[in-house]
Amino acid sequence: MKIFRSVRFNIFLGCLIALGSAVGTFLPQIPDAAEKVTAYQVAHPDLHRLFDFFGLFDLYHTWWFMGLLGLMAFDIVVCKLWNKPPDPGIVALPPEMTREAEIEKHLSQKEAALKLKPYQAVLSSALAPAAASQMSKSFLEGEGYHLRPEVSGAAGSSFIATRHRLQRWGSYTAHIALVVILLGALIKGVYGFVEMVPVLEGRSRAMQNKPDWEVYVDKFTIKYYDGTFEPKSFSSVLRVQKGSQVLGEKTIIVNDPLDISGVRFYQASWGAGGMFRSVDLKLGSQILQLPQRTPEKIPGTPFLVTADVMLPNFTVNNGQADSASLDLQNPAVRFTFSVGPHKTSPLWLLKNDPSVCFAEDPDGNLTRAPKPPFSLAAIDPILFSGIQVAYDPGFKVVLTGAVLWLLGMIGTFYLHRRRLWVLVEPAEAGAKVSVGAWSSRGPEEFTKDFDGLMHRLRAQLDARDDFRITQNPLVEVS
Amino acid sequence: MFCLKAAFALYAAATALAFTYLFSKDEKWSLWMLRLMGVGVAFHVASFGFRLALFWQIPENKYFLPINSFFGALSYLSLAVAAVFFVVEGRHRLGILGAFVLPWATIGAGAAVIFADPAIKGLSPALQSYWINIHPMVLMTAYAAFGNAFGVGVALLIQEHQIKSRKPTELCYRLPSIEELDNLNYRIIVFGFPVLTVGIIMGGIWAYNAWGRFWGWDAKETWAFITALIYAGFLHMRFVKGLRGRKAVYVSMIGFASVVFTFIGVNYLSELHGYLSGRG
Amino acid sequence: MSLILVGLSHKNAPLGVRENLAVLSQAKVFERLREAGASEAVVLSTCNRYELYVCFNGVESKPPSWALNLLEKISGMSLSAHAYQRGGPGAVEHLFSVASGLDSLVVGETEILGQVKDAYEAAVAAKMTGKYSNVLFQRALYVGKKVRNDTGVAVGQTSTASVAVQLAETIFGSLRGSSVLILGAGSMAELTARHLQSHKVAELLISNRTFSRAAGLAGEMKAEAIAWQMFPEALKKVDIVVSSTGSEKPILTADMVRSALEARAGRSLFIIDIAMPRDVEEAAAELDHVYLYRLEDLESIVADNLKNRGGEVRLAQELVAAKAKEFCAWESTLGTGKEASLKHSEAV
Repeated sequence: MKIFRSVRFNIFLGCLIALGSAVGTFLPQIPDAAEKVTAYQVAHPDLHRLFDFFGLFDLYHTWWFMGLLGLMAFDIVVCKLWNKPPDPGIVALPPEMTREAEIEKHLSQKEAALKLKPYQAVLSSALAPAAASQMSKSFLEGEGYHLRPEVSGAAGSSFIATRHRLQRWGSYTAHIALVVILLGALIKGVYGFVEMVPVLEGRSRAMQNKPDWEVYVDKFTIKYYDGTFEPKSFSSVLRVQKGSQVLGEKTIIVNDPLDISGVRFYQASWGAGGMFRSVDLKLGSQILQLPQRTPEKIPGTPFLVTADVMLPNFTVNNGQADSASLDLQNPAVRFTFSVGPHKTSPLWLLKNDPSVCFAEDPDGNLTRAPKPPFSLAAIDPILFSGIQVAYDPGFKVVLTGAVLWLLGMIGTFYLHRRRLWVLVEPAEAGAKVSVGAWSSRGPEEFTKDFDGLMHRLRAQLDARDDFRITQNPLVEVS
Repeated sequence: MFCLKAAFALYAAATALAFTYLFSKDEKWSLWMLRLMGVGVAFHVASFGFRLALFWQIPENKYFLPINSFFGALSYLSLAVAAVFFVVEGRHRLGILGAFVLPWATIGAGAAVIFADPAIKGLSPALQSYWINIHPMVLMTAYAAFGNAFGVGVALLIQEHQIKSRKPTELCYRLPSIEELDNLNYRIIVFGFPVLTVGIIMGGIWAYNAWGRFWGWDAKETWAFITALIYAGFLHMRFVKGLRGRKAVYVSMIGFASVVFTFIGVNYLSELHGYLSGRG
Repeated sequence: MSLILVGLSHKNAPLGVRENLAVLSQAKVFERLREAGASEAVVLSTCNRYELYVCFNGVESKPPSWALNLLEKISGMSLSAHAYQRGGPGAVEHLFSVASGLDSLVVGETEILGQVKDAYEAAVAAKMTGKYSNVLFQRALYVGKKVRNDTGVAVGQTSTASVAVQLAETIFGSLRGSSVLILGAGSMAELTARHLQSHKVAELLISNRTFSRAAGLAGEMKAEAIAWQMFPEALKKVDIVVSSTGSEKPILTADMVRSALEARAGRSLFIIDIAMPRDVEEAAAELDHVYLYRLEDLESIVADNLKNRGGEVRLAQELVAAKAKEFCAWESTLGTGKEASLKHSEAV
């Protein structure tokens, strides 16, 4: 147990996690780029077995990585529970001499008690002790300090003033926030799901995680920036039904999903899968519109022509027709001409370049053919809309964690807790006011702060003598 | 583009003056450095304004900030560093630290001018969100802070080495003291760390709105996470172990190396955040 | 010719010879001088020099070699190989130049001015001064100050103590809020401590093997004396340590420093070792956050600082020569009834 309490161990754990997660960024990961992983495995037949063993191609979901994260969360809790809170400015909590009874006890030792405070100042005022005490109190209240009840005895009176007490919880809040965020991730891992549902425009598809939910894309629209294939916007008119009951309907775009009781439907991607409604084949001055896989007679000839396959981004790969992507960057359509039982070799026509034509043999190998007397004039493709469906019941937990983290950070780093011990004693010509101070602030800044505060208090009390701030670093690192 | 070039030239000149000031006591170098910086920042802001006007000519880009390209990001980053230094310098007269901070502004502006593609493009749909005005800016602010901490760290190492060697040169008396530099390094990181983590969390919220997941271990996310871990380590080592001085600077430098990698290197790895791969 | 001087300094006398002279009892020297008929004399004895100034005011003057012979007799050493002798204007100029720090190992250093003052005051206490020597030494102190004010010889850090303070500032920034531990109650330690105190350090602790001496010095300096056994504990909280004990072996070991560092949470510790032989183990310098400076380190920094100020020395020498000439002019009017005035405030 002791090892989990040590911050050193936690830092070591942090380094391990950092290293582990760094490795994952240099290797392709299955969730992001499954095809790259396959390529890598082919390229490094020996290495990949070792990598596979440690799950390096899906590193962030391996048992060991999850285990490290879990261990760290556990450790954070243990560290925070058992260790005294580390405060910024390297200052530990002030010595526990703060309870009123103890002050009473220390009133007899007067300055000895104050001497234990990291910062001290002594002022003498001509005011009567009670008046000086009252004046100091109202002054400190004006400075935003919270006053604890006064204790008075024969030797004088004493009170404690504090400011920004919340700071003490900042560090706890921040660390709890981390655990909450991890908890949110865990909830997502257990109860949540993510699936990709590609739906052809005008059709529907059932979800895997909710088999009775049917996702309809009634219309899909994509616009490109002029002259490029950079998408400007894309959107789907989405409808989700359970049987005949419509669960939700919305035109979704990226950054604006459809939410059906926590299950969110995102516009993630799109593509052309090879389907089309029709293509226009131009023969001389004539245009022939061909639906997919439907032979049409070419007017004035005995020939039938069929358009059967479309590739959205045509390329020649190992001598065969292939598509480099799902974008409609270089669409090509395969045509077959036939007369009775006789068929010609299929011909590939490119929409963007009418001069190029490939003939395909029965094995699928391409040969360059001379420019044909016809060309591919237009394509009306059927696109699919990539709908990412995600259910993440942990998100609200994560969000709570995020808010806690923000509060914790503000508390830890931007609030500076201050605590003053004020002792007012009768003196020959009035009162002696001794102030001991402690702050979570760095010594350089707090010295300035305290200096200013004491100067103002001095003016208030109309104190005669100057004061000296001494620092007692031994207390700070106790 | 002209304005940015002018800003770059002015930053470079101011950096040269800062180095001159490092080795010469003459206050005029520092004063001229500050003036050049001021004009440089003005040019830079003007360039940002012109760019914004051009950027907004594309209707989809309206009211989003042009930070979608490597050029825009670098330009903004160097503007942030330069402007922060200009303000801090104007107030606190830390002229001597100019030599350690200004090179970052100059390198940032220079890289934007020389290497990055300034072409203005329409935003991809994923970036058409109000978050683009928040998430990258917050993170760049943290990066700018860490860049400054790095500069201060270099100054601290020089100062530490000088004093440790028992043969301090004139420079030693001109630089702020070890404790001041250490404190400054720490305070900048204390400022930067919450900003960094909050920026990362904002990214998570955006990702949830755009892609349906808060965190996806994308290379950029992972490296930002690593950066945060390193700086968290720095803060803990300081609070708990009292790590200060030279070794603390080493940790902060590793952190900054991670920042630079997150900012530049990851573009070659990330599936989602690559400025260079054009995926936005 | 009413002033003669015999002296041995770091320039031409070996350390051993100087040390032997330094241990001579001043009272004995004065006594022998009185026996020999000299009524006005000042002994300037510092780490770097031993000088005997004898004035003959109203009595028959003697050549400088007379003083050398006397000194040889008292010390029982042959000194002629290392000593320099001056008489009249040459001796006056030498004294002014010494007081101005121009003859010091570290040109322009300010400690020597205090040492000249101490030597003069000791002579006053021993009733070994008269009108001539009073005017001479007060004049020397005035010239010493003037040279430092008017020329650049004393600009910046010309003394080891002020270099130490400046170094402390490059480590801690303002010394307000720093605390200082002095080990040993010697004069060098005190000097450095006073320098630090003038920079408003928050706390000054003094520890000495003999507690009463620490307490004595602490009383003088508004400091706090701590027991010798307690000083390793104090290492945990102080920022600056100045050590100058007469110990043969290092009193501050690297292990002591190392164990103190654990409690220091990475705050820097500046150790100044001005003792000879060393008080601080050299290995302590290797530790992180520890900056150890020895006397010779400080001196070489000072020397480097001064190297850059050669031109100022020439200026200072001219000023010293002019002032010596002025003094000799005054001297020649002595006894004529028309004494020229020597105003300290006059312009050069």
